[in-house]
Amino acid sequence: MTDSALAPLAPDAPWVVLKFGGTSVATAGRWRTIQQLASRRRAEGHRVLVVVSALSGVTDALKGLCACAEAERGAAVAQIVDRHRELVAQMQLDAVEGVERWLASLQALVRDAAPDRLAWQAAVQAHGELLSSSLGAAFMSANGLPTGWLDARDALRARELPFLNERARMLSAQVLAEPDPVLSARLAGAGEVFITQGFIARNADGDTVLLGRGGSDTSAAYMGALLRAARVEIWTDVAGMFTADPRQVPGARLLQRLDYDEAQEIASTGAKVLHPRCLSPCRRARVPLWIKDTQHPGLDGTVIGPQPAESAPSIKAISSRRGITLVSMETSGMWQQVGFLADVFELFKRHGLSVDLIGSAETNVTVSLDPAENLLDSDVVARLAADLAKVCRVKVIAPCAAVTLVGRGMRSMLHRLSGVLAEFGRERVHLISQSSNNLNLTFVVDEGMLDGVLPRLHELLVRAGALRTDDTSLFGPSWQELYGKGEAHVRTPWWHAERARLLRLAGVPPSPHGRGVGGEGTGEPAGLVGSEPSPALRAPSPRGRGEAVFTPRYVYHLPTIRARARALRAMRSVDRVYYAVKANAHPAILQALVQEGLGLECVSPGELDAASAAGTAETPLLFTPNFAPRADYAGALQRGMTLTLDALHPLLHWPDLLHGREVMLRVDLGRGLGHHDKVRTGGVTSKFGLPLDQFAAFLELAREHDVRVVGLHAHLGSGILDASHWPLVCGQLASLADRIGSVRCLNLGGGLGVPSHPGEAELDIAAVDAALAEVRQTCPQYALWLEPGRWLVADAGVLLARVTQTKRKGAIDYLGCDAGMHALIRPALYDAWHEIVNLSRLDARADTLYQVVGPICESGDVLGSDRHLPRSAEGDVLLIAQAGAYGESMASHYNLRPLAETAVIE
Amino acid sequence: MSTLVDPRQAQTFRFVRCGYADGVAELVYAFDDGPELVERIRFPDAPELPEARKPAFDAALHLLHLVAGISYYKAGVPERIEVGTGAPDAAGAELLDALYLHGLAEFAYRNKLDLRGRIAFPRGSSVLGSGSRPKAAEAAIRGQELRGRDDGEVRALGLPHRTLIPIGGGKDSLVVVEALKRIGADAVATWVGASPLIAAVAERTGLPTLNIGRELSPVLFDYNRMGAWNGHIPVTAINSAILACAAILYGFDAIAFANERSASAATLEYEGQSVNHQWSKGWAFERMFAAYLRTHVAADLDFFSLLRPFSELAVTRAFAKTGAAYFDVFSSCNRNFRILGPKPSDRWCGHCPKCHFVFLALAPFLPKPRLLSIFGGNLLDDESQAPGFDALIEYRDHKPFECVGEAAEARAAFAALAARPEWREDALVARFREEVVPQLGAASLAVESWLAPSDEHGVPARLAGALDAIRGA
Repeated sequence: MTDSALAPLAPDAPWVVLKFGGTSVATAGRWRTIQQLASRRRAEGHRVLVVVSALSGVTDALKGLCACAEAERGAAVAQIVDRHRELVAQMQLDAVEGVERWLASLQALVRDAAPDRLAWQAAVQAHGELLSSSLGAAFMSANGLPTGWLDARDALRARELPFLNERARMLSAQVLAEPDPVLSARLAGAGEVFITQGFIARNADGDTVLLGRGGSDTSAAYMGALLRAARVEIWTDVAGMFTADPRQVPGARLLQRLDYDEAQEIASTGAKVLHPRCLSPCRRARVPLWIKDTQHPGLDGTVIGPQPAESAPSIKAISSRRGITLVSMETSGMWQQVGFLADVFELFKRHGLSVDLIGSAETNVTVSLDPAENLLDSDVVARLAADLAKVCRVKVIAPCAAVTLVGRGMRSMLHRLSGVLAEFGRERVHLISQSSNNLNLTFVVDEGMLDGVLPRLHELLVRAGALRTDDTSLFGPSWQELYGKGEAHVRTPWWHAERARLLRLAGVPPSPHGRGVGGEGTGEPAGLVGSEPSPALRAPSPRGRGEAVFTPRYVYHLPTIRARARALRAMRSVDRVYYAVKANAHPAILQALVQEGLGLECVSPGELDAASAAGTAETPLLFTPNFAPRADYAGALQRGMTLTLDALHPLLHWPDLLHGREVMLRVDLGRGLGHHDKVRTGGVTSKFGLPLDQFAAFLELAREHDVRVVGLHAHLGSGILDASHWPLVCGQLASLADRIGSVRCLNLGGGLGVPSHPGEAELDIAAVDAALAEVRQTCPQYALWLEPGRWLVADAGVLLARVTQTKRKGAIDYLGCDAGMHALIRPALYDAWHEIVNLSRLDARADTLYQVVGPICESGDVLGSDRHLPRSAEGDVLLIAQAGAYGESMASHYNLRPLAETAVIE
Repeated sequence: MSTLVDPRQAQTFRFVRCGYADGVAELVYAFDDGPELVERIRFPDAPELPEARKPAFDAALHLLHLVAGISYYKAGVPERIEVGTGAPDAAGAELLDALYLHGLAEFAYRNKLDLRGRIAFPRGSSVLGSGSRPKAAEAAIRGQELRGRDDGEVRALGLPHRTLIPIGGGKDSLVVVEALKRIGADAVATWVGASPLIAAVAERTGLPTLNIGRELSPVLFDYNRMGAWNGHIPVTAINSAILACAAILYGFDAIAFANERSASAATLEYEGQSVNHQWSKGWAFERMFAAYLRTHVAADLDFFSLLRPFSELAVTRAFAKTGAAYFDVFSSCNRNFRILGPKPSDRWCGHCPKCHFVFLALAPFLPKPRLLSIFGGNLLDDESQAPGFDALIEYRDHKPFECVGEAAEARAAFAALAARPEWREDALVARFREEVVPQLGAASLAVESWLAPSDEHGVPARLAGALDAIRGA
């Protein structure tokens, strides 16, 4: 299996330490991977030390063994014995002497059990690693890689630390790992590849001790320091550390390089991939630490090392921790009292509580306690509060969450954090802490705020240029790209294939070679184009004084719209889909959607006119206005439309108008969602919907005036990419509907998000469908409606613009074009992000960082900030993507510029 | 097929027929000559019914038919009730009259109806089949009907010593589960209808489970859309009758509900009638129903609430001690009941009376950080929740229409928190101290006075050890 004819290693060949966790050692297949990786390092000229954890589940089983009743111990040991013998058999090994020896020693320990002695517990639990490492040595040696077995306890000596209690000394011991040339020489004399145990060490009395949580990572770090290794490689199931927890932020980017301090900070504030304890031994010995993915060994992973000489300041990660308890202590004039803080902290010490964050004011000190089982399951907080109450007013605030931004030089980045600060401004922030090492900024908020907020904060940091994901030496691919379904990247937008036609629509005549444009060749040196008009302009042009104007121009791709409509119609749990006309009322789009069987949802008489013109007699129409005048309702009723009310006012003041009618009721479920304040449409700060505390009054009025509520509607906001949102709304509406009886349908609104940033995952419509189907089982009597707008049309539209002027101001390159906020207001209004490409130079290298701006006399007339584009020139055609929704429909004549042109691709 | 007529126009509500085959019970009703309303109850993996238990099952099924009719009857509340399957005897009619009157009291209050004098089930042979039924079939049905058992009580069937524990996903039934586990009782966790939350809780009990299906007639939904009367119905009574059938079918000799002492307290008085949201969870219903089952279905079938002697606070105290395994999965919230998810907000809306009460009643017995982690927030430190908690303690408002404890219990819980340094500064606790306590006078606010059990309960002797398990928890 392994090439044993490798050249012998030099006497001073460097060590590499490879660490593998419990799942990586649990099967024969995974052991083959370990052997391959060890062989490769050996072939590259390294001495190799493999550090392993116990087989997954075995440490827990051994802990259980320590805690269980005497009568159950026999069975528990038998299970552990069987598990290891089965793996020996699976590895096609004969009885392994090392394994049998440790199994026998485990059985002997259990025979002479001393469950109350911590030394006995440690000795029992150490067997998981002793067994797995013996198994590994036998397997690798039997398969052609001679591997020596090293007892880690002979190398790692626990420190006698006076401040540690007995339990900590035995079960989460610390080791002072100084480079040990004697050990490396001894090992180098005995072989090339070794395997040893994570998690265990020995104390001065010769007892086995444990290294506590994350112990195997820590062992590897200690070993790396002892051997002064070239590096320590932690092999795990993800490629490394990310800019955020990928389970919450699929767009989180791989951190390719970190310094020790940053890595320590990220690991301490939430990241699970690495235990923070393992960084300091590596830092002291200046041993780099790599994190690598066992399943994808080719991925670069995260390299943690000394601080790089120079790099632009950037936030590296945003992390969060839940389950934090705050203790707020209030007293008047505490600073006049000498020793007040000392007295207070003495009480925390007395109750065995360790304080993490501290905020203080003239009359208040607030501290945070990290989550711990004894907080939750003992009365320690009550006892602490009782003691504190003798010296101050005390308040216990929980559950809180700490959101931490990590990055070297945090204070120099504060000015970029306004968006993030605004996000926190809406919530109750209990405590803000800026670490004294200038590496982190932490906000403590109510835990409930955390749901769904991290993706938004991550996006805000990227947008604000605080998290410089454009620096590809630091930031790798997104988790979504590496491990997700990858749809966001596989999908090529329709306009790539329609490029030639789009250029013509923008007024660029076909080139003599039939390729449509100049500047197309990727290799065209920027210098040739420079600030000269692009070749397209040098060609005969229809543009000119008094001639036709082509841009700015919206172009809509109907096949994309039809495909989207069909995807929604294919949802089995949804009975009817209405298109929210406000997104784009272009007649061709309305007709296409009507043909696909969608209804139309309107909010004004004008939209009703457009819908009536496009629809047939069968097209379901829905009128859902907000704060509209009475005449609008009267007009809609005359047309026989389904009406949605969202306030008491119409029933209170226009009962005659509504008497005997059926209506839908839009309720406000009390919270809003979406990527920006102005797109959230739930919660008290939003003007939409009937608040639930007026629900009973509405029904009372409805009954009084013989108005029947036949449907309930909620719409919480836009741009929602979380498939669980709609089932939640459905469940809540159904609970309300159950209290009415006359309800036939639940309109779950729209808000289906369209990913805009690279790395964001598409909304999984099949997942929404499946989740809705499940909720629906519990309320089959209600028809379900959806009412999307943007999701149907956003991707189908692009805005074409032509470059007008360029300007360099300070360090900033401005790229001006003829489409401004009058044509597309979303970037200015919502901070919306639209991809912008130079269609004339689509394949050229994006070598310039531009502010893309329009011609409107407003500082906010910015279409895109910090965009990497090829160096562009007057006349180039820019394409602003995902402009099909709320582009043309929100356009204005501002500055008395004409409305954008439109074109439709069938 | 008859066209739908608003049931509020109907003259007669008809119990048309009921039957059972292959694990499915069909319960059929109608208004006047309107379409049949067919409700189906599905008993999963139903065993063959032993011959000896058939009469008992038929009696239980007939009772279920009459009890479950309340869902449909209330849509129109017509003048006449006609029982085509044979009128109940005096005891049966009394039970049903009481159930329909008191169980629909909240419904009547909300809809401004007066049902007194309107609900009168036919007794004995006063009203029989619809007339269209062949005489022989009618006679066959009459043979098994409730009527005619006045002369002698039914015999014991030798049912196996096994207990059905209906669970609802909330704390109460879990206290029953843990108490019965502690005395080693042979028990099965059961629930009616699809609920992912209850299924998850049931799985956590570690007991065998029985999920009985229930499909309402779709015609009822059509009626509702036409504006039929709608509102609260005594669903515990329907579940009780379903479980009585299940006990005979599968072989259980006990049905252990989890209704506390406070369920017997009226929510409010309205025009001389007391309105209790939880009437079918109360002691009056339990006694009548249990006696009826013993005398008309099987003498050895025990129907009782294991929590009857206890106050809400005694039950929450027991749950705090014995329910740790359920802290991350249980929910008593009715608003979020359909949703199951890992976050507290998936299980607790945090704004309804149930959330308010369970939070308050658990607070004296759990470490504060633990309680807050269960709910995902601190409802007592949120001033906007003041009206909800005021209603619980009957301060400025009446008790809400939900299954919550007595106001005095809620006040006792508040008082306990007001004395605790880790709670006393929270917005609503501080408000209670400063604003409410001075108005309460010398009334006893001691939690301890609520922890002593009463003697009033129907728990059979062989399971009485479970009461000690709760008392001593």
